[in-house]
Amino acid sequence: MLRKKTCVAMLLAGGQGSRLGILTKKVAKPAVPYGGKYRIIDFPLSNCTNSGIDTVGVLTQYQPLELNSYIGSGAPWDLDISNGGVFILPPYQTVKGSEWYRGTANAIYQNMSFIEEYNPDYVLILSGDHIYKMDYNAMLNDHIRNDADATIAVRPVPWEEASRFGIMNTDDENRIIEFEEKPKKPKSNKASMGVYIFTWEKLRKYLMDDEADKKSSNDFGKNIIPNMLGDQQRLFAYNFEGYWKDVGTIESLWEANMDLLSDPAPINLHDKSWRIYAKNAGFPPHYIAKGASVVDSLITEGSEIYGTVHHSIIFAGVTVEEGANVQDSVIMPGSVIKRGAVVRRTIVAENAAIGAGAIVGEETGNIAVIGQGVTLPAGTSVAAGVQVDQDTTF
Amino acid sequence: MKNAMGIIYTGENDSRLRELTMLRAIAALPVAARFRVIDFQVSSMVNAGIKNIGVIMQKNYHSLMDHLGSGKEWDLHGKNEGLHILPPFLTRENVGVYTGLLDAIRSNTNYLERSKQETLVLSGSDIIYNARMEEILRFHQDTGAAVTLMYTKDPSMRRNELGTYLNLDEAGNIVDMEIQPTNPSYENSYMKVMIIKRELLLNLVDKAVAHGLHDLDRDLLMKMVQEGQYKLNAYEYKGECWRIDSVQSYFKFNMDILDPEKRKGIFRDELPVYTKVRDEMPALYGDNANVVNSLIADGCQIEGTVENSVLFRGVRVAPDAHIKNCIIMQDGQVHFGAYIENCILDKQSVIKRNAKLIGPDAYPIVIGKNVVI
Repeated sequence: MLRKKTCVAMLLAGGQGSRLGILTKKVAKPAVPYGGKYRIIDFPLSNCTNSGIDTVGVLTQYQPLELNSYIGSGAPWDLDISNGGVFILPPYQTVKGSEWYRGTANAIYQNMSFIEEYNPDYVLILSGDHIYKMDYNAMLNDHIRNDADATIAVRPVPWEEASRFGIMNTDDENRIIEFEEKPKKPKSNKASMGVYIFTWEKLRKYLMDDEADKKSSNDFGKNIIPNMLGDQQRLFAYNFEGYWKDVGTIESLWEANMDLLSDPAPINLHDKSWRIYAKNAGFPPHYIAKGASVVDSLITEGSEIYGTVHHSIIFAGVTVEEGANVQDSVIMPGSVIKRGAVVRRTIVAENAAIGAGAIVGEETGNIAVIGQGVTLPAGTSVAAGVQVDQDTTF
Repeated sequence: MKNAMGIIYTGENDSRLRELTMLRAIAALPVAARFRVIDFQVSSMVNAGIKNIGVIMQKNYHSLMDHLGSGKEWDLHGKNEGLHILPPFLTRENVGVYTGLLDAIRSNTNYLERSKQETLVLSGSDIIYNARMEEILRFHQDTGAAVTLMYTKDPSMRRNELGTYLNLDEAGNIVDMEIQPTNPSYENSYMKVMIIKRELLLNLVDKAVAHGLHDLDRDLLMKMVQEGQYKLNAYEYKGECWRIDSVQSYFKFNMDILDPEKRKGIFRDELPVYTKVRDEMPALYGDNANVVNSLIADGCQIEGTVENSVLFRGVRVAPDAHIKNCIIMQDGQVHFGAYIENCILDKQSVIKRNAKLIGPDAYPIVIGKNVVI
């Protein structure tokens, strides 16, 4: 018998993130590198640890290999404990057959037995798509204080953009009276962040009903939340004001990286009371050579810089050779920028090699992307906004 | 190597490291911007598949214990095996203050008897190396020697009145040893890494201590060589190594690894060096940062000039500050307009606005932990 948990977190990490193009060809979106040493999933996982939530189910489906090996035993997030910890939950087979996760609600439905093992009072639903630091425990306290059935984290968005989001209309006490998906005339600017806390007993019932409804698309936003509202359940909004960035597109992923270079950075990763944990590759510190120039950049362990790096993010084990010039770019782990190459406004994915004298990206325009493991021949030119993967021919 | 275990002895003489070892053992000295000396010995063992490692502590072992923790970072937190911290004053047999390595081993007889592995790797903790230990263990097996000692021909390891030197015959057998000679006559410096059968060591140590002997090199190894009853063999380590036995040699190691070739020699791709992780964000370089020929750890924030230096985690360099040929340990701060050259700043020390501190070339100034100048 496992000890009872107050709150279990379920992290939806199965999304493909197709708008990230070739960056998610081989890895799921939550495993995409960010900020010099992190992956997107480090943020919700670290938030859980820092919020005192020590039992996390990670639901995977799309390209799970890298994510599985990254999470491993959960040790980097202190989630390698005996009663609880982090669990990878892929779709599985039963006597009734097997099926993929059909929607966010169905994914949780299929893992109800995992949740019940811990007999929790509350379940926290998260996604692995956003960069933010958030105290889920404060939100849980709010949920308990309100005697709520569900609490939905919301953040204010600019009014003119509100019609692109799922908007919560609330009363004076922040109780949700209406939920509108992409309203033409928004009545509020409180956008859902896709972070939910449910009282487990309630959610359980709604998941079962939803599963029985053959017409449902088994989605939290489309089905569960509207159904609960329709039944006059107690749904509350939880206001979140901090930095929150959806890194769903190439441009927004690039921007979120560049945010770390503004002064002061909108998200403080130096905060010792709210560390963001990541798996550590055990490299020596990075080396800046004689003749190198590094300005306005983030650089991490195992990198060797002989050339010029301006306003860029350099991940672990990257080499920038002599005479190479990296500007406004994100260079992911293990990549090499060869002698004399110029890389501007580009995301270079893991273990790629930019050949000597190659010119990638432009000073303005869209972000260029060099895919995982690509070897770009010497002297090649890649225009702004172009994505190059291993199948691209020159 | 399931059938080998490791012992690391951390009680070496550290008087020439002055303030640096006032509060810590040599094994716990911060080196190479994010490591401690002991990371190298432990990682060499772990990379050879050794899963049972005992660390004999002697004095000032708090920071060493803090660093090693449960051994998790080295994957040494298994159920039966793992990392065993062996502080003094542990048992009735334990004499507490060890007069030598023999005493230390004798005091930990219980642990050694309980261990199941047949072969034992015994390492000191004041020599930095990164060895392919399974090769040495195989060599030990193949030669059938009772004892195998690892040595190097690297001339920088020689010291007057310090260290042990080996004379070998053509087959690699040890035919003579010199201990702390005024001027070593043999080129082979013993690296304080020895391979021996666990039970043989227990026997030998027991006998030696019963005869009032304390010094492992002098009273045990040297005697074995002279008496000729056992075969003592030597294995040449050809990689990079450093003896950390003085402020100068500590400084030199950190400066040496600024050289990419030397760095590759000790941080070998196939033999990673593990250490405690602090989860700092990557180092941040400001608009006016000017950094050349330096090793920089995560968590640093650099706005000023840094040349030929090693900066540990969380160091802050303000605009207009200038650092040259320095080692700055964890969380050090150098404020606006300060200039420091040839200095070693221990943890959390602060150099205030416009302060100037220049040490002589061959003799770096050591600033103690938490000192504000």
